[in-house]
Amino acid sequence: MERFVQTLVDALSVGSLYALTALGIGLIFGVMRLINFAHGELITISAYTLLALFGLPIPVMLFGAIAVAIGLALLTERAAFRPLRNADPTTLLISSFAVSFFLQKTLILVVGSRLKGLDFLPELNRHADFLGIRLQILQIVTIAISAGLLAALTWFLKATRLGLHMRAAAEDFRMARVLGVRANSVIAMAFALSGILAAAVSCLIVVQTGTVQPRMGLQLVIIAFVGTVIGGLGSLSGAALGGFLVGAASILLQALLPPDLRAFREAFVFIAVALILLFRPQGLIPARGLKERI
Amino acid sequence: MNAPAALLTVAGLVVRYGAIAAVKGVDIHVGDGEIVGIVGPNGAGKTSLVSAIAGIVTPADGTIIFAGRPLGRGALEDVVARGIALVPEGRHIFASLTVIENLMLGATIRRDTEALRQDIERYLAMFPILGQRRRQPAGQLSGGEQQQLAIARAMLSRPRLIMLDEPSLGLAPTVVDQVYALLNALREQGITILLVEQNAERVFGLSDRVYVMSGGEFGLSGSAAEIQNDPRFDAAYFGVHMQEAANPL
Amino acid sequence: MPSRVGGNVSAMRNFERLWPLVALVVAVVLLVLIMSFAPAVLQRRATQGLINLIAVVGLYVFAGNSGLLSFGNVAFMAVGAYVSALLTMKAAAKSVFLPDLPAVIASAEWPTFAGALAGGIAAGLVALVVGWPLMRLSGVAASIATFAILVVAYVVFGNWTAVTGGQNSLMGLPAYVGLWTALGWAVAAIAIAFAYQETRSALLLRASREDEAAAQASGVNVVLHRLIAFVISAFLSGIAGVLLAHFLGIVRVENFYLDLTFLIVAMLIIGGRGSLTGAVAGAVVIAVLTELLRQSEIGFQVGKTVIAAPAGLGDVILALIMLLIILFRPDGIAGGREIRWPIAKR
Repeated sequence: MERFVQTLVDALSVGSLYALTALGIGLIFGVMRLINFAHGELITISAYTLLALFGLPIPVMLFGAIAVAIGLALLTERAAFRPLRNADPTTLLISSFAVSFFLQKTLILVVGSRLKGLDFLPELNRHADFLGIRLQILQIVTIAISAGLLAALTWFLKATRLGLHMRAAAEDFRMARVLGVRANSVIAMAFALSGILAAAVSCLIVVQTGTVQPRMGLQLVIIAFVGTVIGGLGSLSGAALGGFLVGAASILLQALLPPDLRAFREAFVFIAVALILLFRPQGLIPARGLKERI
Repeated sequence: MNAPAALLTVAGLVVRYGAIAAVKGVDIHVGDGEIVGIVGPNGAGKTSLVSAIAGIVTPADGTIIFAGRPLGRGALEDVVARGIALVPEGRHIFASLTVIENLMLGATIRRDTEALRQDIERYLAMFPILGQRRRQPAGQLSGGEQQQLAIARAMLSRPRLIMLDEPSLGLAPTVVDQVYALLNALREQGITILLVEQNAERVFGLSDRVYVMSGGEFGLSGSAAEIQNDPRFDAAYFGVHMQEAANPL
Repeated sequence: MPSRVGGNVSAMRNFERLWPLVALVVAVVLLVLIMSFAPAVLQRRATQGLINLIAVVGLYVFAGNSGLLSFGNVAFMAVGAYVSALLTMKAAAKSVFLPDLPAVIASAEWPTFAGALAGGIAAGLVALVVGWPLMRLSGVAASIATFAILVVAYVVFGNWTAVTGGQNSLMGLPAYVGLWTALGWAVAAIAIAFAYQETRSALLLRASREDEAAAQASGVNVVLHRLIAFVISAFLSGIAGVLLAHFLGIVRVENFYLDLTFLIVAMLIIGGRGSLTGAVAGAVVIAVLTELLRQSEIGFQVGKTVIAAPAGLGDVILALIMLLIILFRPDGIAGGREIRWPIAKR
């Protein structure tokens, strides 16, 4: 019983991380039809900011990580993506791929490609008793923060003016602009929000692994991308669900597979994704307004 | 004839998509408080004309003057603040957002929350169906209800000019009656209306003046009564150039 | 059959049609001829460049004709590499590195050409199987999904220790790929890509690139034609993988992951993803560029000091160029067109 709950919590925790990552990607895809590869670099560079600020009080470190992520997100939007705003989706995809590798290779140039240790909030890695079951504090924290961010984002989108504008822009960008919704504001907000989500994921990963390395963000987002595709490109709930399922499935498979197959669990997850896409190419929760009007 | 002061003046407007000219140099003026209709078949360039005025496409040539100031080369988002509202072809309501949210979006440029709330209540009362379904996703409304919503949404920005592109398209005749009755009511409130339709009969019944557009150009123009009875109307509608029509063979 | 009446004209027209193929092959052959007089180190670089050229041409066959980028082609390179390695390695070498291989494979010592073909065909078969669900996805979703191919290949090859050696390098491959072998395969790849893009299937696919909905409404089976391009693309990528493995003499799963994917994609984008000329141009330009950057990282002697670029600068510059191209000249160097017969029509 205890094993079962522990595995479940583990799955929820990892699933939450991927859900947050996929959400950051989905936010930007919603308003711009851009698959932002560079989201991985937001995570990575945010983590390196923690490394750079190490020794300063924790709130300062956190603030720095968030500020850098938001700043970098807005910078990439302004410099690389705004000029391409009306380009076709493949061109946008290529540009974000280029931005991502540019940032990653520049980072490697500056800090080297080896991983570095970072002892950030190690207390969270300890275990504690929750209702009689030994769980890792970090996992509970991850789930709590993810749920909190999800709730906050939902509130923002549903209850605020700018959130309404973002939802309208995601469904029909041009009509929203005809009504006076400012394209630049909506897109900047989407990038800023994705920066916050990236920073959150980054901090949680750093606590969990105790290391930073230049590939950490890219590895995460590749899996998150596949999650958004299966969840349904263009719908935020789809992105979160897809990301969550891919992450949780990976953990569940790790627990359920026989030991010699465990290393292949990612492969199994993706094969399952392929099969689901075979029957439901539009994803689990497809977005409205995604198809071009004939 | 005592023409009302021109609210909208378009001169020599040219709209191109790549090598194709959809609008080949047209002049139009719409007086304050008038209802002006543009009729023409599919592909005549009517939507391109309206899109240029609304700022969705940038004209290749020509001038647009609205309320005394030039229009047409600024940001798309600024047009509604100038006092022009568009009800586009196909309505483009936000299907995943509620009726209320759709209306709120119509008032994007407004900051007067109390007056806005009253306006919304007024429109919800004017359109009882919308009132009943205020919290439902707009995608669940019927075609006619969506048209009402689109018009109410446009009206919420308190425009001086409202442009409607094919409001009767895809709607049953009784529903179109309701829509046109609504437009008449709007005219009573002093709103200026620019109406684009394929269905000429309806337009004649409502408009003060009519332009007939075909192949990117205007063939005939004049008061609705004049055009309705003009024997050259069919030719103008279907694109035979006026000179040829005057000298058959 | 061209009509006899306009004999000269249609012969001219056929020649013009074939001109891009001729021009590209001649250009590549000439470059290699020049390189054959260079020192051995440079010849090895040129060989590597030819292998990359085959990989880019492989990616182009799918990406250029369908308009969709694939991030999975390096996985097909890995398939080709491992299959060819397993079939052509001497049994003695295999028993050292892969003691748990099934006997059939462990004892196989195929001739290298057969092994290469097997590698390419295996890659094509994998593409056939995984392409079926993926090609039904809408544009960008399909591109993202091809990432899944890359990850699955990486995970499988990296963990299937009995067959691939897992994370360890597989060594002892017959290293038969030199400048001329690579050239031969490169010319073949260009010819195959050219022949494919002249087929009706490719034409229909390119039509769907502009407007998918219109093509489908006209009855074009977009999924089928995408799949055909995908399989041919995988075959060529598989061949590139085979050659890479037998050039280096080793296979490492790390070599077939994100960095190589970035390199191949960058070459295609910089050269121009809309034409075969673009693919070849991209490969050549990047080969020259990386050589210059490599030199600068080694350093130039100025008096007593050596001025050298920091390691890793080359990658940054490559990424920057790719970014600048996509921002300012998105169709790449070739601009989406094939190389033209320079003499004007009469």
